[in-house]
Amino acid sequence: MSWKLQKFITASALALVASTAGAQAETTVKFWHSFNKDNGEALNKIIANFEAANPDIKIEGEYIGNYNDIVAKLQAAIPARRAPDAVILEVTRYGLFADGGVLTDLTPYFNADPLKDELYDFAREVGVIGDKNYIVPFNSSTPVLYYNKDIFARAGLTDPSLKTFDEILEASKTITDKLGSEGITGIAAPGQFARWGLVMANGSDLIDSMSGEILLDAPKTVAAYQWMASLLDQKVASVDGVTEEDNGRDAFLAGKVGIMMNSTGNYVGSKKALGDNLGVLPMPCNETCSVPIGGAGIGILASSPKEVQDAAYKFISYAASAESNAIWFAATGYLPINKHAADQQVARDALASQPGIDVAINSLPYAHGRARTPVVTWMRTTEYQMWQAMALGQRGVEETMKDFADKTRQEEARSN
Amino acid sequence: MFRKFTPYLLVAPLIAFIAVFTYVPIVSSINLSFRSWNFMSPDMPFVGLENYTRLLGSSDFWNSLRVTTIFAVVSVPIRLVLALLIASYLKREALSSRTLRGALFLPSVTSTVSIAVVFSWVFSTDYGMANAVLGWFGLGKVHWMQDPQLALFVLIFINTWKQLGYDVVIYIAGLQAVPQELYDAAAMDGGKRFQVFRRVTVPLIMPTTYFLLVISVIEAFQVFTIINVMTHGGPAGATDMLVHLLYRTGFVLFDIGTGSALAVLLFVLLIALALIKSRVIGRRVHYES
Repeated sequence: MSWKLQKFITASALALVASTAGAQAETTVKFWHSFNKDNGEALNKIIANFEAANPDIKIEGEYIGNYNDIVAKLQAAIPARRAPDAVILEVTRYGLFADGGVLTDLTPYFNADPLKDELYDFAREVGVIGDKNYIVPFNSSTPVLYYNKDIFARAGLTDPSLKTFDEILEASKTITDKLGSEGITGIAAPGQFARWGLVMANGSDLIDSMSGEILLDAPKTVAAYQWMASLLDQKVASVDGVTEEDNGRDAFLAGKVGIMMNSTGNYVGSKKALGDNLGVLPMPCNETCSVPIGGAGIGILASSPKEVQDAAYKFISYAASAESNAIWFAATGYLPINKHAADQQVARDALASQPGIDVAINSLPYAHGRARTPVVTWMRTTEYQMWQAMALGQRGVEETMKDFADKTRQEEARSN
Repeated sequence: MFRKFTPYLLVAPLIAFIAVFTYVPIVSSINLSFRSWNFMSPDMPFVGLENYTRLLGSSDFWNSLRVTTIFAVVSVPIRLVLALLIASYLKREALSSRTLRGALFLPSVTSTVSIAVVFSWVFSTDYGMANAVLGWFGLGKVHWMQDPQLALFVLIFINTWKQLGYDVVIYIAGLQAVPQELYDAAAMDGGKRFQVFRRVTVPLIMPTTYFLLVISVIEAFQVFTIINVMTHGGPAGATDMLVHLLYRTGFVLFDIGTGSALAVLLFVLLIALALIKSRVIGRRVHYES
């Protein structure tokens, strides 16, 4: 064998060993999330920025589906030992996983992280159960009231005041009366997030976030549901949105509905669909001004090795940093969770060029976290059927909410 | 010696496959039905019959059983009668018959999710094709998927449309196996068309009918995908059939014990139905020796 060939083989072997050692040093974090399309692109950008800044960590992001899909798949993955290292979990439904010891207690990481002081109080609070921190917020939202300016103008409604239930109902009636022949309805049947918001706007809650008291049959909760059911009863909302909540949103985006109450995370999509015809207002303050905090945070699985948990925390801390949060806010319309996000150029540009994107930010002084005890998952799942029964006139609101409250209390007692 | 065990060795992989993916899950479900577990906890405490008593005391279970029974009782006869009529018409070997058979069979091999998504739009109240067609005739909008009485029948219609082609193909095979000389003999005896059908065709295709009955009843009790995509069990539980309730209990509400108890009850119910069918109809089934 010639000297040159020996040198070549030795060099190749060394290069192979070096590259293998390099590959071994890289830590891979398997990350399940619920963002596709535009939101998914924004998340991928954040992941790419993180990997560029941390070449020793690879984030394997995977779109799983909506929040419910993630919860269902996570359950199946845990006993099969195929769970990811980090996962997006909706803010009212991670309690079950925290309670079951599935999520790592992030308190030691969080307390040592300067990020803790950069987050708004509302954002910091959503990750806490008892005195422990289980998720770091990523996408926070509140419901807002979207309206179609063109539809309002054609119905003769200018400068709409939509602060009370009565005003919203009146505007919805006017739109349906005047434009119903064109297939336009006044309002989209509220989805579950908006329903929760309307209950809070009526001075009540579904479950008290502090005491855990079940308030489903409280008079003001019942009154809020009666008003929501009246939207269907008076035919100012399409029943299509009752059985499939996305139908209401899709109809609004198609210019067939005057008013939609939905997450601020729908802002960018709505803006793309309706352009300058999109108007955004805060949720009504019927009895009081109070909106729920929604969205999700990222938790780390207790089953992952320590070095992977460390890498995963580094990523989720980065995802909530001012730089990443500004990218996310500008691309999606979700709330800024980092106090310094609005100072970033990309966020300043969004605030200047996208009127209405700041409505949710202005709602923050009266935004409140929601209960996240284990029974909330059961309550939210069951609420869909209860709402359908009331909205479609199958059962009376008072009777249904009383039954719902009793069943939720029984379920809570059983799960405890 | 080796030759003696060869057949067993050859079937061993298949037996292992069936054991792992069928028998082990069945035994595991029976075990879990007596335990309390939520997927996450390392402990699975034994709770005896608690899951069964909770299930049998729940209005959701009885509603699902009622809905599933209605679905089966309405859809199975419609499927079998329609399939037999269409098969009688399409059994001749002609190009048009073969083309129609293929067209009818297509939904059987089409993704159920795709079918459910398309029909969600067809039956949309405000934007659906069904209401648009009614509108051409001056008829008002029908709440296909929001009316609890109608929604189940919409699902029955879709399921029948999807499965009909398969039933037709099986019936055609059964009809083509009936010896022509029996029809010739019946014709010589002056048998009318309906009489021949009732006295010759129906008894001779009884094994096919029995097979389709067993299969379609099992299918009716296992419908899930269409519901999960189109209605999620709604409106207000009107389409919450047993397998969907099972999914909701186990995989949405994390109650694996109760979900497994429901799976066991469904298993027992289907075996009981198969036995009843065997006792009642099986006696009328005659196979050619």
